[in-house]
Amino acid sequence: MSAKPETKELIGLLSRLAVAGVFAYAGLMKALAPAEEFAYAIESYKVLNAQLSLYAAYVTPWIELWAGLLLAAGVFTRANALFAGAMLLFFEVMLGQAWLRGLPITSCGCFGSGGSNSIGVEFAQNLVFLALAWAAYKFKSRWSADSYAETL
Amino acid sequence: MIDQKKARLLALAGMIIFVSTIAVLLARQFNFVPERPSPEFRTFGPAGAPVQIYEYTDFACPACRHAAGKLDEMVKVFGQGLRVSFKHYPLLNIHPWSLHAAAYADCAGAQGKFKEYAALLFEGQESWGAARAEGGEPKDFAAYAGKLGLDWGKMQACSNDPETLKILKLDIAEAELKGVNATPTFFVNGKRAVGSGQLIDQAQKFDNLLRKAAKP
Repeated sequence: MSAKPETKELIGLLSRLAVAGVFAYAGLMKALAPAEEFAYAIESYKVLNAQLSLYAAYVTPWIELWAGLLLAAGVFTRANALFAGAMLLFFEVMLGQAWLRGLPITSCGCFGSGGSNSIGVEFAQNLVFLALAWAAYKFKSRWSADSYAETL
Repeated sequence: MIDQKKARLLALAGMIIFVSTIAVLLARQFNFVPERPSPEFRTFGPAGAPVQIYEYTDFACPACRHAAGKLDEMVKVFGQGLRVSFKHYPLLNIHPWSLHAAAYADCAGAQGKFKEYAALLFEGQESWGAARAEGGEPKDFAAYAGKLGLDWGKMQACSNDPETLKILKLDIAEAELKGVNATPTFFVNGKRAVGSGQLIDQAQKFDNLLRKAAKP
């Protein structure tokens, strides 16, 4: 049995806001902290060297913040949800490889210096957000800037 | 050609990006950013104290030495009302040995004597602080460790540990993010004060809180 259009819209809206909230919060926390702090967290994944980790730490928080806010407002919702999903997938790969290699990650760097869960929990959490990003992509909602622009 | 709908959405996206960027930059500049906690050994006073002071200091800076005395007096007077956390901000362009001093102070802190080692660094700053970068590490650092009965071998190993340097670099990066460009710079419940004169002025604004907490 397929869900009613209103239910789908509601699922789309709630998923969009959940993913947007996490992205905006994560970006804001890191943008307000020294980039070096996040860079050290990136370094611990042993994928990038110190210099590249620092560059990534300068750029990533802003991208997360902007993606989160644009998604919350529903601007280019599908493209943004796809982008957020791609980022989540990338984070998942990073966490997965660290997990498989048994790296001693004390802070995942997800929300700045705030405490983080174990890699396993973060990995599972990311999967949930990936599913929500998919729902935000799939179910269009009338409560978005995209839909509002169509009515003008 | 971009149609009207897309143009509107692009304009909205640009506005969201612009406004959020400005808001974050302003939040950084006006210190709406929560302070990163200092290590335990660099923090003095009860955790729930109503007045929290963060001091960015350089052990080779004479004004920091003066401010250290003032802070000690304040802690004595307002005991329970005050919590002081030290952060390192070595001015490397004028004090070549400040970073070493900060690292050794933290390593002394790891052995339980941060405050005592810091006091000796301030006391002897005219000696080691004036040493030239090319002349090799001043012997004062080891002498202070000996005076306090610290394990110098452990301190050297600790000061060369990347983790120690990482903590110092984070303090410096945080100071730069907040626009600190002189020492000593204080944040008294988030309000900036540069030098001990401004520190007293800022602290007076929290006089009621301090006196209330200091009452037995």
